[in-house]
Amino acid sequence: MLLLLAMALFGLGLVGVIVRRNLLVMLMCMELMLNGVNLSLVTFAQQTGTAAGAVLVFLTFVVAAAEIAIAIPIVLVLVHQRRTLDADAYTDLNG
Amino acid sequence: MVATLNALLADLDTALLFIFALSAFVGAALMLVLRHPMQVAMALISTMVFLGGIYGLLGVHFIAAFQVLIYVSAVMVFMVYVIMLLDVRDVSFKRRFSQWLVPGVAGGVLLVGALGYGLWFGVDRIATTTVSFGLAQFAAAFLSEYWFQFELTSVLLVAAVVAALAVIKGSRRRDRG
Amino acid sequence: MLLTLIVVLPLVGFFINGLLGNRFGKPFVTVVGCGLPIVAFILAVKSFLDLMAGGGTPIVETAFTWARIGERSFDIGFWFDRLSAVMVLIVTGVGSLIHVYSTGYMKEDKSFARFFAYLNLFLFFMLLLVLGRSLLVLFVGWEGVGLASYLLIGFWFEEPDNARAGKKAFITNRIGDAGFLLGMFLLFWATGTLEMDRINAAFMSATAPAVSASLVGILLFIGATGKSAQIPLHVWLPDAMAGPTPVSALIHAATMVTAGVYLVARMSGIYMHAEAASQVVTVIGVATAFFAATIAVVQNDIKKVLAYSTISQLGLMFVALGVGAYSVAIFHVYTHAFFKACLFLGAGSVIHALGGEQDIRRMGGLAQKIPVTFWTFVVATAAIAGIPPLAGFFSKDEILWFAFASERGGSPVLWAVASGTALLTAFYMFRLVWLTFLGKSRMTPEVEHHVHESPWSMTGVLAVLAAGSAVGGFLALPHFLEPLLPLPEIPEHLHHLETPLLVASIVIAFAGLAGAAYFFGDGAVRAARMRGRFPGLHRLLSGKYFIDELYEQLIGRPLVWISDRVFLRTGDRMLFDGTLHGLAGLARRTAGAFSRVQTGNLHLYAFLVIAGMAACLVWSFRHG
Repeated sequence: MLLLLAMALFGLGLVGVIVRRNLLVMLMCMELMLNGVNLSLVTFAQQTGTAAGAVLVFLTFVVAAAEIAIAIPIVLVLVHQRRTLDADAYTDLNG
Repeated sequence: MVATLNALLADLDTALLFIFALSAFVGAALMLVLRHPMQVAMALISTMVFLGGIYGLLGVHFIAAFQVLIYVSAVMVFMVYVIMLLDVRDVSFKRRFSQWLVPGVAGGVLLVGALGYGLWFGVDRIATTTVSFGLAQFAAAFLSEYWFQFELTSVLLVAAVVAALAVIKGSRRRDRG
Repeated sequence: MLLTLIVVLPLVGFFINGLLGNRFGKPFVTVVGCGLPIVAFILAVKSFLDLMAGGGTPIVETAFTWARIGERSFDIGFWFDRLSAVMVLIVTGVGSLIHVYSTGYMKEDKSFARFFAYLNLFLFFMLLLVLGRSLLVLFVGWEGVGLASYLLIGFWFEEPDNARAGKKAFITNRIGDAGFLLGMFLLFWATGTLEMDRINAAFMSATAPAVSASLVGILLFIGATGKSAQIPLHVWLPDAMAGPTPVSALIHAATMVTAGVYLVARMSGIYMHAEAASQVVTVIGVATAFFAATIAVVQNDIKKVLAYSTISQLGLMFVALGVGAYSVAIFHVYTHAFFKACLFLGAGSVIHALGGEQDIRRMGGLAQKIPVTFWTFVVATAAIAGIPPLAGFFSKDEILWFAFASERGGSPVLWAVASGTALLTAFYMFRLVWLTFLGKSRMTPEVEHHVHESPWSMTGVLAVLAAGSAVGGFLALPHFLEPLLPLPEIPEHLHHLETPLLVASIVIAFAGLAGAAYFFGDGAVRAARMRGRFPGLHRLLSGKYFIDELYEQLIGRPLVWISDRVFLRTGDRMLFDGTLHGLAGLARRTAGAFSRVQTGNLHLYAFLVIAGMAACLVWSFRHG
């Protein structure tokens, strides 16, 4: 059941990235995805009884923190230029 | 008496687990439909807290502590600050959903369905167990077997700090010049 | 060892002069360039003495094995018998003399070293040709002399006409070589070897090889027509006069053009059993001889007259070959080398004296001014006209006799045409003498002022060659070659006609002399009147029967049209370039179509992630 929850969290996070327009909301949905993965890791670690799963969870925390530390300044810089949080406004890398 | 209390507590654990799981799910679902980003952030924080509770119920207390410490108090607080900083009443406020709403939902259903299908025929269901990880074992494992990953994470954090500085300084120079 | 040395010495000269000549100056080049051929001549004499000491048994040397394919091996071997001896002595002897002449003629030229390098290269290939044991070595020499000829005709390549003449010579040769190669392939297939002595033995033996001797004979003869300038591949020789005069003398008179005659004589074993091929040889030979002689009568460039004369004389040699008198043909090669080289070098001396003038209508009255040149030229002219007792008389008379009487194709008609050619030969050669040397001077004043006798390096050679033309005929070559190349049989009832025909040929020679004196002696007035009476004929002859124009129309223009229309436009541009451009265009358009996925929209990308992941999961669950 917890694995079901983990799957659901991951799926909801990914769908959220697709359906929501606001950049910040998209970032938060990505955090949700990471949480789902964490949950599944903890579940498996508990099942097998090794320490590897827990270590990996800790590493995921660090990565999430680092990621958010970079992503938010990037969003700030982007918004500073174009004055909008709409993801559809940033389509320069096309073609 | 103690046995029934234990049995009751065991039942309580399971019930709490169920409640927490449901709540986490609801919070996540709400994230997708709420309009104001601040509301979305609150939903996420609730989901994360409930997840922390689940971790505690599962016996990995230090991970639960980390969850709250890192995710909620660091990441989400940062997020909330940024939401407060920016003006959120723009196009994405009026029209929440992108063009890819229907295909996205369909794809999500397909994905979760496939994963569930795989889960159904693969893994046994689990519940709470008595096996729990102590902080001591965790720390020992980190420093003996996984020390390399530990060092790598510190490198990663340094890289993140440098990158953040570079992004902000670069934008400031562009504004000035 | 000796034969290999004879062949290799000129090659060494080529490398030394070619690489170091310019650095060390003209005296060095002269010593190396003339010295090595002279040493080769001395070695050739020594080999000849060895040969005679051995009673004429051939000396064989194998230098090395070129290739071994299966059980067959192809060797570089040299073969020295009586025929080779004659050819080698002519090539090295006359060749050395012409090298010495060139030191005087090319003295002012800035590419002195290059000239001698090329001359030595030519000598190397020519010696390969005449000393080679197998057709393979001969062919290497054959192609090599073609190359040297191209290099030397186009020696002053800054003039595009000279380069074009060199190209024409080489390409015309190559056309003949196609026939030669086919003949070689057939011979190898039938007899299993390319060594000429073994091929001859195979054809002379009781069991003839399983190939038509006539077919092989005709194919080899096609190669000979290219090299020896017979109809239809004669067109390159007059144009080849664009090269320096020593080149014309050496290559296009004395040695290279006789390679075809040598080939047929060497492969006599085949031709003796090939009636049809021998007839073809005879017919083409006599036709070419007559045809070229008629053209020579109206030519106005001193070298062109001699060029057509060479073609005509070669035709007579082929007549001799065709009727089975192989040794007589070689005898004529020998005498022709002397008097033709003397004539060409004499012409070179005249051109040198006049500072570059080559048109005989602007000459005249040179006899007193350049006496040595004049007298040697007269001796050589008398030789070619067949006036006894000079060399040309002996060889030409033998040819005419066998043309009449040989059992292998001799006929009165043949004799008549050949005699007509002899008459014309005497006529135009003495015309040349009259217009060039005698009578009143028609030179422009500056040229007349410039006239001087050539240096002794040139006149000395002229004297030696004139002496050879005078007395060379007394060397009975056909008799010497008889053990190797037997003379054809003469029917009994014709034997008594030998003396009358001899007298007839002497009369013809003097008739030609008299005719020339009549028409050109008085300042060419009577000749001009004659020309006035037959303008059409004169135009036909002056235009060389318009053969070059005919080839251009029949072969040149269609080829260019095909190359342009079919190969260039359709084949190359449409097919190849079109395919390549089409493929490139296809790639570009496909890439353009695919790149429409990249819209820059993050939502699309995330959707593609989810869709792809779902698809992969579904697929992996289905396929285990």
